[in-house]
Amino acid sequence: MRRTKPLAVVAGAALFALAACGGSGSDGGNPKADRTYTGAAEVTKDPERQAPAADVEGATAGGTITVYLPGDPGPDSMDPTDGWSVTGNSIQQALTSRSLTQYSRDPKTGEMVLVPDLATDLGTPNDDFTEWTFTIRDDAKWEDGSPVTADEVAWGIQRSMDSDTFPAGPGTEYSQSYFSGAGEYKGPYTDKGKKWDGVSVDGQDVTIKMAKTFPDMDYWGAFMAMGPVPLGKASTPPDYGKHIMSNGPYKVESFRPQEELVLVKNDQWDPNTDPARHQYADKFIFKFNQDQAKVDQIMLSDNTESQTSLSNALGSNNYDRANTELGDRLVQQSSQCTSFLSPDYTKITDINVRKAIAYAYPYQDMWLATGEVPGVTRVPANSIMPPGMAGKHDYFVDGEQFTYNPEKSKELLKEAGYEPGEFKITMVYYEPDPLAVAGQKVLVKGMQEAGFTVKGIPVQDSPYNIWLDPDNKVNKTLNMRGVNWCSDWPSGLTMLPPLVRTGAAYNTAQFSEKSIDDKMSEIPTMPLEQQADEWGALDEEIGTKYFPIIPTAFRNDLYVFGSKIGNPAGDGQIGAPDYKDLYVMQ
Amino acid sequence: MSAQTAGPETLGHLSDEPPQQPQDSTKAKSITGKSPMRIAMGRLARDKIALVCAFVVVIFVLVAVFAGAICSIFNVSTDTVLPSQYLDTLGGGLPLPEYGPPNGGFTIDHPFGIAPQSATDNLAYWVYGARTSLEISFTATLFASVFGIFLGLIAGFVGGVVDKSISFLVDLFLTIPFLLAGLVIAPIINQNFNASDNYPRIQFWALIVVLAGFGWMGVARLIRGEVLSLREREFVQAARVIGMPARRILLKELLPNLAAPIVVSISLMLPTFVAAEAGFAYLGIGVTSGISWGQTINKATPFFESYPLYLWEPVIGIVALVLALNLLGDAIRDALDPKTRR
Repeated sequence: MRRTKPLAVVAGAALFALAACGGSGSDGGNPKADRTYTGAAEVTKDPERQAPAADVEGATAGGTITVYLPGDPGPDSMDPTDGWSVTGNSIQQALTSRSLTQYSRDPKTGEMVLVPDLATDLGTPNDDFTEWTFTIRDDAKWEDGSPVTADEVAWGIQRSMDSDTFPAGPGTEYSQSYFSGAGEYKGPYTDKGKKWDGVSVDGQDVTIKMAKTFPDMDYWGAFMAMGPVPLGKASTPPDYGKHIMSNGPYKVESFRPQEELVLVKNDQWDPNTDPARHQYADKFIFKFNQDQAKVDQIMLSDNTESQTSLSNALGSNNYDRANTELGDRLVQQSSQCTSFLSPDYTKITDINVRKAIAYAYPYQDMWLATGEVPGVTRVPANSIMPPGMAGKHDYFVDGEQFTYNPEKSKELLKEAGYEPGEFKITMVYYEPDPLAVAGQKVLVKGMQEAGFTVKGIPVQDSPYNIWLDPDNKVNKTLNMRGVNWCSDWPSGLTMLPPLVRTGAAYNTAQFSEKSIDDKMSEIPTMPLEQQADEWGALDEEIGTKYFPIIPTAFRNDLYVFGSKIGNPAGDGQIGAPDYKDLYVMQ
Repeated sequence: MSAQTAGPETLGHLSDEPPQQPQDSTKAKSITGKSPMRIAMGRLARDKIALVCAFVVVIFVLVAVFAGAICSIFNVSTDTVLPSQYLDTLGGGLPLPEYGPPNGGFTIDHPFGIAPQSATDNLAYWVYGARTSLEISFTATLFASVFGIFLGLIAGFVGGVVDKSISFLVDLFLTIPFLLAGLVIAPIINQNFNASDNYPRIQFWALIVVLAGFGWMGVARLIRGEVLSLREREFVQAARVIGMPARRILLKELLPNLAAPIVVSISLMLPTFVAAEAGFAYLGIGVTSGISWGQTINKATPFFESYPLYLWEPVIGIVALVLALNLLGDAIRDALDPKTRR
């Protein structure tokens, strides 16, 4: 799942940013360092979880919760099939759009637990995971009172096959890779009237046929794209994205893309049908694209309005103050995300040059210049898989953690046959953001000292739009790009293939090795308990043998909660505030 | 009697009293023999505010011209540095106490302190910001006034279709908000030239074109009006009669008589452009790859509480320069206006 926030793009990408302080990890010597980076807790499963969800201790009903999303435009469409962004999915999956499975936060450990949602359990696979059956519960309702049927769930799943209609949807990666007919059946809108045998309904049972072994269907089922959608004309895109039908505890009162989303209680939702969601607050107001400085002031002022508000980001300039004044209300949430530099594998062919880049990137300085808090919101990264992901290996490509080391970089360049200043890096940066511009200057300075020549091309479009467009004139000239990637569920399957498989959309390095591709399609067919280790081993193999993408940082986010918001916590699975369990203290 | 609705200026005319006679007719007699320019200079020299403002402006111009020398005297530079060694990473990216405010005292190495987050030197950025500001506003003023004077002269002197079309052009340009034009042009420039090595320079000139392109209309209108009234005067008629070519009439007869309005409009155009340049930079357009006060303000606003000095430096620069230029412009206008009495 990619981070859509422009700033994150900037930070992750344009600045190409982020990653590593001098090998010492966080600055242990600083007396203020009472907060440091934390890895995500592991995700567990509980197929037996029953509705209703356990009450949050001390929770009271009523009140309005305002959520500020600084610099975050939010989703353009609320169509569940189209949702593949951290912001949109975290809001909709928690509040409006149910799916086969879902996550529930364990209040004691903070771990996220995969529990049933519209299905009565986590699904029943056949022996080789090529067929999954989910039994849909018969008591869930839409906001208009009509029951959610198995046919509607099947229709939602069928829609996710349509990559042309939903080019930014997660189905493009998962449905179109693993479901039966992948690559041939183009979805119900593009291939109108064509029969698809991928999903079949028998009473309350929905059976999904796979094209190949897919043991992670229960996780994939937690995406709202694997949920019900009204049949027929009612759900025709793109209109449906503007007026979705809710089946969760809240329904849409108004939605203005990039501005505001107002959710109110859905009285047709019954807590006895839902094992994880709550319906405490009367209303949620999401304010997109807010100004960070303004939101920080609102949240720090603790006035009547901000007491029932929360923000999903904090400006680094206010970190010190927020840390001392807010206590538990400043929540540091790890998410399974890694930021990368992607040297173009077809243009920068020498692994020594790629290693030199890893030594030439001024990690700490970049974080500072781009408004991060080194050691807290960003820490050095060593592997593609983020901490907390089962099977992650603690390997180091060059024997030790990459840090800014100009001498080492020059040495490696020399080995590759380049004099200092001879090797030229061409990259883009996001001009409208002053932090991105400042970061680029620091990057140029740092890399120049390390023997590279850097040409930064200022762009006014999101860098992703440049990197992902193969016909873009600027893109063709680049030999270094970047990507910021968060796992879709805690498996290497959602980190490695989307980033390093030949032809994958976010393979901005254009890495392509047949042996790696083969291995990536082989791992899902292996026995379930071996897979995590295999992904970890493959991660290490890719890193040490090819080093195609340079991990620069693992990330944490900072959320600020008002003093009257109950249960301030984050959802470590998706990397957002835990909207399901929030309430307003009365 | 109902309440008066008219403002004080119009009251005089509405009342029955005869309009006040200009009272400098007697004074003018006592200084006969001086040219209007000399009278004006004399008036300016006695105007304390004008002198102070002129002094401030000269200081700024000197700072801008000798920016490099000033930086080397203080041993500072605008070079990018690797910020982590200078900043408190967990303290909101503010400078460490030994490098100056807000947590430490001022240091000789960085007299104005260093910037949070990027650790660049504030003095160097301020000095070069003054240069950018003045360079852009002076150049834009030059282009706008030359263009405006030229079109105004032609329109007023030739008249007819030429006058009509130039007046239409003026009206057309007045309807386009220049801010909008700037916002539209910035991405176009970016799209076409972002891969060029001269991109910062292209941005710089594009900004001048925008400012000048939307700043000449006032001058053109003013000059046209003046020329319309002057061209029927006897000395112009006489010049025509003796067969002077139009170019000579324009340059030798009309232009010198237009010195006053030109000086006034230039002196008021300068501060407008200084402010406009800063405004553009604040909005993230204009010279994004260079150094500019407006950009520093944009970066400094989040720090208004924790590091106010960082914000005050460019703000004071802009306010002082714009205020000085404006007051100086007013003083020049007053001095050149034969109807004012001080």
